[in-house]
Amino acid sequence: MIVGEQKPLEEIWEMVKRHKQLTVFGCNTCVAVCHQGGNKEAGILASLLRMKAVQEEVDIDIVDSGIERQCEHEFFDSVRDLMSRSEAVLSLACGIGVQFVATKYETMPVYPALNTTFLGDVIAVGHFTEKCQACGDCVLGLTGGVCPVSRCCKRLSNGPCGGSSNGKCEISKEIDCAWQLIVDRLEALGRLDDYEKIPPLKDWSKDRAGGPRSFKLEGI
Amino acid sequence: MKRLQGLLRTVGIDPERLHFYNLSAAMGPRWAEICNEFSEKIIKLGPSPIWLARQKKKATTEHDE
Repeated sequence: MIVGEQKPLEEIWEMVKRHKQLTVFGCNTCVAVCHQGGNKEAGILASLLRMKAVQEEVDIDIVDSGIERQCEHEFFDSVRDLMSRSEAVLSLACGIGVQFVATKYETMPVYPALNTTFLGDVIAVGHFTEKCQACGDCVLGLTGGVCPVSRCCKRLSNGPCGGSSNGKCEISKEIDCAWQLIVDRLEALGRLDDYEKIPPLKDWSKDRAGGPRSFKLEGI
Repeated sequence: MKRLQGLLRTVGIDPERLHFYNLSAAMGPRWAEICNEFSEKIIKLGPSPIWLARQKKKATTEHDE
């Protein structure tokens, strides 16, 4: 899922305090899983901003709300009225949701409450790690389910570099060497001969490096 | 609770103003004790910045009227 982290409260306050009315708007999918941008977090953030407003004698009416996902039109049906009454929106969604709201409501200022950081999983409660870089050319079938693009600091395609030491990356002792993980995994699967195979050249044009991507289903 | 206290700190409110106590409905005397202890603590801490700001706003509004 998409992982983000809430911006510092001061930074958020500086963005929104100029308005007389603000809707603090949560997204209850990915960013709720990492406890940063869900509808509950929107309520908490709205409360903190109200406390700031009272203390700084800023006259601002702050409302909190949220929907399941801020990246699809259908989910906005239930908040049509609220959006028409809002002067500005503080979106707790990932960057996708913030942009979606901005495009959908052209004349309404939209501010991001989160810094969207990476695509990752939940390895333990409250612990999220990067697992995918959306490179568009997935090699997980060859690497035993360990991604060298997102988990190798150098994104190497053909094995570890000379800096791999005791299963750790030279960048930091806290980062596992992805290629060590790949070899271990292939060994466990009894497929170490896959490690010897030279994969085809990676098509990096499918990555973000090739420009912003889009995908359209035919026949829908 | 640590998280909530951290959040209160970010808005300038003393985290000592928030505390969770665990007790059962049968612990009447302990409940009374907690109420007294906590009330004394809050009285010692004095008015919160939110209360002070609200009083100031109220006084300004009354003065304008």
